[in-house]
Amino acid sequence: MLEIVLTREDANTEYALLAEWLVPDRSQVEQGQPVCVVETTKATVEVESPGAGTIAQLYDEGVEVELGAVIAYVAESPDELARIDTDVAEERPSPAKAAGGERKATRKALELAERYGLDLSAIDKRGFITERDVEELLVQQVATAAPEARPLLAGISLEGVTLPASFDLDDATGRLDPSFVESVRQDPATFVALPPHEKVRALREHGAVVGEGVELGEGSLVIAPQVVIEDGVRLGPRANVRCEELVAIGELSQFGADLELLCRRAVVGRGIWGGRSIRFGGGGHRDPWAVLAIGDLTFVGDEAFVNVCRPVLLGREVFLTMRSLIVTHNIGHSVLEGFENRFAPVVIEDRAQVGLGAVVYAGCRIGSEAIVASNSYVTGDVPAGAFAIGVPAKATGKARHEPSRGRQVELGRRMIDDLHELLALRGHDVSAIEDGELRSFEVEGTRVGFVASFRGGVDPPAVVLTLERPKGEAPAGVAVLDLLGRQIYGEGGVVLDSVREFCRKRGIRLEPGPWSYRGGLI
Amino acid sequence: MSATTQRRCVQVLNEALHELFATREDVVLLGEDVLDPYGGAFKVTQGLSDAYPDRVLTTPISEASLFGVAAGMALRGRRPILEIMFGDFIALGMDQIVNGIAKFREMYDDQVTVPLVVRTPMGGRRGYGPTHSQSLEKLLLGVPNVCVVAASECHDLGALLVHAVEDERPVFFIENKLMYGRPSRRPEDGHIGELAVREAGGEYPALTFSGNAFDDASATVVTYGGMLPVVLDAVTELILEHEIFCEVVALSQLLPLDLDPVLESVARTGALVTAEEGTLTAGVGAEIAARVSELAWSDLRRPVRRVAARDGIIPSARTLEDAMLPRVEDVIDVVLALEGVRS
Repeated sequence: MLEIVLTREDANTEYALLAEWLVPDRSQVEQGQPVCVVETTKATVEVESPGAGTIAQLYDEGVEVELGAVIAYVAESPDELARIDTDVAEERPSPAKAAGGERKATRKALELAERYGLDLSAIDKRGFITERDVEELLVQQVATAAPEARPLLAGISLEGVTLPASFDLDDATGRLDPSFVESVRQDPATFVALPPHEKVRALREHGAVVGEGVELGEGSLVIAPQVVIEDGVRLGPRANVRCEELVAIGELSQFGADLELLCRRAVVGRGIWGGRSIRFGGGGHRDPWAVLAIGDLTFVGDEAFVNVCRPVLLGREVFLTMRSLIVTHNIGHSVLEGFENRFAPVVIEDRAQVGLGAVVYAGCRIGSEAIVASNSYVTGDVPAGAFAIGVPAKATGKARHEPSRGRQVELGRRMIDDLHELLALRGHDVSAIEDGELRSFEVEGTRVGFVASFRGGVDPPAVVLTLERPKGEAPAGVAVLDLLGRQIYGEGGVVLDSVREFCRKRGIRLEPGPWSYRGGLI
Repeated sequence: MSATTQRRCVQVLNEALHELFATREDVVLLGEDVLDPYGGAFKVTQGLSDAYPDRVLTTPISEASLFGVAAGMALRGRRPILEIMFGDFIALGMDQIVNGIAKFREMYDDQVTVPLVVRTPMGGRRGYGPTHSQSLEKLLLGVPNVCVVAASECHDLGALLVHAVEDERPVFFIENKLMYGRPSRRPEDGHIGELAVREAGGEYPALTFSGNAFDDASATVVTYGGMLPVVLDAVTELILEHEIFCEVVALSQLLPLDLDPVLESVARTGALVTAEEGTLTAGVGAEIAARVSELAWSDLRRPVRRVAARDGIIPSARTLEDAMLPRVEDVIDVVLALEGVRS
């Protein structure tokens, strides 16, 4: 493959005008054949082909091209031509002066159009195409389309959001006898007054799937046409769970007292930890779009409020901390008078964190592993991995700063010190810390320690924290916790459970899961 | 698109010179290396000496005396156009400018005028080093009774040059090295590219650009000359990437400063950013900022911000030069940092 390059003719010129192609694109050219005319400030020159082959032109006539740039290739075989078509065409350089020219639709407009599969050429407008133009086109198209043609999550990208498995639940599982649903809706007080185990029994009797060890608190109400509650789910006293279509709650998920969960479809994943007085619902919770999905291992803090009149998707391991607030619509004056009247979904991608008292406004998306600082007001999208703070929230930096291996080792060793101190203060009999490659102590006859890389050599019973997957099988009686891979190898008793809980409180959630601490040493 | 639809700025200026020479017998041009076939370092005078051998004078490398000679010709009724090969060399003529050219008319009680045009290219981004890359027009701003005109690729360069020659005042006609090779981009149907453009009246009009038909905008960016394409690239990116709209005012007359178009725009936007290629301290932007703060304090919702070259000398190495001069990202960063601009 030969290149045709614009060579510099004059020290005072940066660009040259590609005045005219003398041969058509994809035509055969001979070595030395003039292929184009280029004008510099000094002269008009003809550029010759460096060899024989098929010419592939990279620029149109009449554009300014930076000197030194490749303006065309000469393919010497069909293979080369095919490669130009696939590789080079994608990297095709933009003309030197694209300003105000090439792309006239904004990024927001392009994203919205892509989300709804709209063709921007339908917008006839002089100037830039903005998100607003696309919204208007969308309104036109929605107005002319049949209403059921719009799936609930149309236009919401699920990238970066790991939804719970129950999101794809079939229609039949846990479907209740409609007359029972109706009777509970008419007279909730009777259901509310039932003792907890009677509630579980009543639900099961009428078709609900309710797993083992499920606890529905005193004075609680759970009703929906379709109910699937997996093993070990615990709802605190006075929970009020009423969904128009479906409620599904995954294994070992728990919510504190006074949970309110009102929406059309609620799919809550496994291992969710929810505090007290959490509200999902608010205005519009019966709307057809009122879908709530919460990914596995997500944390919802006390008094969090999530308005669900449009889809709210919380990914896996999201932190929605105390008193944080998500709204999917606003209220106010008429949209016809120019006030904003917004109804829009909110998406919080996997592992993102929303700080204490922060507000996430309708239509916002918080990217994976982003952090929104406490009391911030999020009015736009927060990019993945960003740290955003303020009113309105602005991305000011990165949410995480990759620690060095040395730092990780130091932190791991310090965890042993902290755990040792905690256990001692709790009144447990702990031995002095022994330092070496393994930093460790003994409690309840079990050695607990940290070593950067586990290669055995620890007598059972033991619980060993480490930074990587152990080499080979963990010996019997030794549980190895790979803190970075977030995986437990081997088994253990109360000491392992206690260490695991200690890790959980430091943000290290380990597999296999979900898992719930049932008490132990801490 | 055919090659004939795009004229480069150097061609436009060259054609205007040919037209001036054809229509006015009193116009003469003098400068270094301006004769054909070389036609000047940047080829602006190409073909002129062949056509008018008596009226195009090539000179020794002695700018101080060139200013004096040209001033004398102007005092004696000619319309001299003095080409200073690099704008940096106006420093050599400063005594002639400050103590002579600017003052003759008043010192001689209006009996004479000095209708002199000094054409000179300013600006860097070419790797020409510390003494051939500066933007020194700000040095002229404190000189009373002269006119400083900054040409940009979006202005009617020919009309500006003709007005400068017809002006009774001494006019410094600031060109830009990168502008020469770029296409002249005049408004067509009220637009340049996707940007709507309004042109103010007067001999040296300002252009005001808007990306959303002069609807609500976040800030006004005032600029001139070779900095205009940098600013237009920045506001285009702000629109495409952030949907943040700014108005841009491209001045062509820097002295006397006529800020009406800027004030009108600031009344709409409530924020002002100045952008120039010269160094920051005591620059054109500083003067504009002071005046707009005085005249439009009630319209401004936040402090005026300036984008300019770092205060220092321009290195020869292109990478270092790029780091010294204001770039597209600098304009974007300043606009994004304006309080309340980013939603």
